Amino acid sequence: MTTPMLKVDDIHASYGAVRALHGISLEVNEGEVVALLGINGAGKSTTLKSITGVLRPTSGSVTFLGEDITSRSPEKIVKRGISLVPEGREIFGALTVEENLRLGAFVSYQRDRYKADLKEMFELFPILEERFHQPGGLLSGGEQQMLAIARALMAHPKLLMLDEPSLGLSPAITDDVFALITSLRERGLTILLVEQNAERALEVVDKAYLLANGLVEVSGSAEDIKKQVDIASVYLGGEDAEGGEVQL
Amino acid sequence: MSIMQRSLAWARSHSTVVQAIIPLILAGVLVQMFGSSLLVNVYTFFCVSLMMVLGVQVFMGNSGILSFLHVGFVGVGAYASGILSTPPAVKAMGVPNMFPALVDLQIPVLPAILLGDIVAAIIAAAISYPMMRLSDAVGVITLFATLIVFHVIMTQWDNVTNGPRTFFGVPEYTTLTVALVGALLMIVLAYWFRESSMGLRVRASRDDRHAAAATGINVVRARYVAFVLSALMAGLAGGVWAHFITSFSPKAFYMSEMFVLLSMIVIGGAGSISGAVVGTTVVTIAREVLRQVEASINNAHVLSFEVFGLTELVMAILMVAVLIWRPQGIVGGQELKLSRLRFKKKKEEVSNV
Amino acid sequence: MNLEFLINTLSLGSLYALLAVGLVLVYGILKLVNFAYGEYLMVAGYAIYLSAILGAPWWATLIIAVVASMLVSFFTEIAAFRPVRTKSMDALLVTSFAVSIFLQNIVLLTISPRARAVPLPDFFSKTVVISGATLPLRNLLVIGTTAVVLVLLSFLMKKTVLGMAMRAAADKFTTTRLMGVPANFVISAAFLISGFLAGVAGIFWVGRSGSVDPLTGAAPLLIAFIATVMGGMNSPIGAVVGGFVYGLLFNILSIALPASMISYRDAFMFAIVVLFLLFRPEGIIRRGYTEERVG
Repeated sequence: MTTPMLKVDDIHASYGAVRALHGISLEVNEGEVVALLGINGAGKSTTLKSITGVLRPTSGSVTFLGEDITSRSPEKIVKRGISLVPEGREIFGALTVEENLRLGAFVSYQRDRYKADLKEMFELFPILEERFHQPGGLLSGGEQQMLAIARALMAHPKLLMLDEPSLGLSPAITDDVFALITSLRERGLTILLVEQNAERALEVVDKAYLLANGLVEVSGSAEDIKKQVDIASVYLGGEDAEGGEVQL
Repeated sequence: MSIMQRSLAWARSHSTVVQAIIPLILAGVLVQMFGSSLLVNVYTFFCVSLMMVLGVQVFMGNSGILSFLHVGFVGVGAYASGILSTPPAVKAMGVPNMFPALVDLQIPVLPAILLGDIVAAIIAAAISYPMMRLSDAVGVITLFATLIVFHVIMTQWDNVTNGPRTFFGVPEYTTLTVALVGALLMIVLAYWFRESSMGLRVRASRDDRHAAAATGINVVRARYVAFVLSALMAGLAGGVWAHFITSFSPKAFYMSEMFVLLSMIVIGGAGSISGAVVGTTVVTIAREVLRQVEASINNAHVLSFEVFGLTELVMAILMVAVLIWRPQGIVGGQELKLSRLRFKKKKEEVSNV
Repeated sequence: MNLEFLINTLSLGSLYALLAVGLVLVYGILKLVNFAYGEYLMVAGYAIYLSAILGAPWWATLIIAVVASMLVSFFTEIAAFRPVRTKSMDALLVTSFAVSIFLQNIVLLTISPRARAVPLPDFFSKTVVISGATLPLRNLLVIGTTAVVLVLLSFLMKKTVLGMAMRAAADKFTTTRLMGVPANFVISAAFLISGFLAGVAGIFWVGRSGSVDPLTGAAPLLIAFIATVMGGMNSPIGAVVGGFVYGLLFNILSIALPASMISYRDAFMFAIVVLFLLFRPEGIIRRGYTEERVG
């Protein structure tokens, strides 16, 4: 059995006095697309924050490519090859699209490669070429999501993490996002995806972890979960919200 | 329940106040009976400082807004009380340009002190409502700028304050007992406000003002009430202080004094009354010790130059050290309560989860 | 408007703008209103004094002044602000006040509580005659210096990666770290630039009064505060605008107030500013792109 690219081992995390994670363990192997599912407050974003170093776990460990990154700072973790597309995009609104992308490339900048990288981003997201010199704040929600993903890709990550990429987006754009994830996966990128829209997520991923109350309730391959788990019952209210629209 | 049981129950549920009051009274009695005149002075000054700090705490601790203005209200209270109670003959001599009406005015000390704090409260009530809408950096800077305005007025208005010069001749009135009573009163007042519904509202707005507003709390009004009350308390403290020190100038109500007050509240912990008491104690002791050290170094002529500013220097370092070690202060954000009560609470919380 | 008034106002506004920009750079990233900022300026003044005593030529004293200010700024960040920042962002403001008191008293202790005369190059007191108006040379110098400094700063912020990183950090600090940008590096850079601006402003400030004492930093600090807040706390451009508006206000009040009230000028200024803020807390320049469009 090969060593997983990312191994999260029984991490606990708190926001001050409030305990958010009570022991999360998961694994992402190279080339896999993995989903973290669960309702609001289940601990999905907190898990990502613990991986990227924004939040320091109170116990447990996070190992990436064989290296313990548990208490490292975000800057160092990004350098190791993990890029995060944050929840809510977090585009630098006052900076132009160009500057956002340039910052994305900060950690792995190579002058000869940079122009080629930009070209690639323009192929994936033509709108970014169009809006290259416009401030990020002027882009629509869907465009910002594209920019956020492009920005993360500019760093040539080994592991790409996306936190709720479909949040607040229209169904059409959500389709684009999931299509993008599929095509990225075809390029061989390893992806960890956090999503509330469990149905859509399960269509594009290899395996999934279902979180609730800071713990992993269910884990397994996407097919298994689709067949066996009554996703709706894990969510409050039981009724499966069509399209997975987020209640903000 | 018997009276004994009832009082014990009351004491336990309001243990913060009891915890603060009993040691203060005990210490006061001991110092008064056995202490040297220096110690009596220090303790009296400690009580007056505590009054000022609690005045600041009522606003700053509950609202989370750093206020540089309160030392100005101390000044208002001090000047008002001083002007009202100093004999006309002294005023005529000491403040040559004073308005005749003010010169002739004289009332007994206690009413003067009380009137003084009302003047402070009135001024606060008049100017502060719109300021309560400002938060964070803008709020702090605005309050800071207002202190400058107060200071400029105090230093320029020599018809009233004698300008930058010393205002002297204020009748001595503040004994250890007076100061102690004042401090006890402030503790009760601060605690009462903190636990009142208005106090709760202010504290809610401190932690998250949008969430507070969303639950129907009028954040501006809640802060306003806290501000006016704290100005009243600061003014009262100023009056008591004026009759302790008997002469002062506008310098006493400006940056260095504000720093001392801030250090007391920050080192102890701004969020609680226990913090204010602990902080005032620590800083008063530290400053006294440093003052002695400074004086002995100067007197011994060990160094070729006079050592000035050592006290402030060390206090600044101490303050930063506390902030690095424990930003919420020695006591932290919650009130000190009887440990028995605290353990009980913890158990309840766990079972609810 | 006559030339003297114009140049006078422009020079005052320039000085105030320099002060304000230095403050807002650190504020933008850390949301810290740095009470010690005035002391960086004060240190620059003392650096001129000390290096002149040691016999340095005038141009060296000025360079030393700016370097001293930058170093003090840098070290206060490392020694005080950084350790506190990791524990609590709210405590930073009070920390800066403590640092301010510390710096004032270190100088008081080691040099003297009394003012010291600061020797400045002769041309600081020279005057020039243009179109019939007699203008102090240093007023023109401060306008010119400010223009150059602002252009350089603008270049730094817009065209370099460091500037980009600083602007990003001012927008979203944590996300900037997620780009792999080292937080400490960006913050140190901001403090160094802030110290630089305080130093340059300090040279001109001390140039007007000719002396320096431990409390010299208080007035510039207040000006920086007010100009920054008036400009809207979120951009260097706002700070520049705020600085010029404040300078204009100062000069207008100096002329408009009757002689009996002139000593209350500061009170009037702050009262006007406070009133302005009460009606428009965002300042003169509203924030640019705050919210994303939803869609």
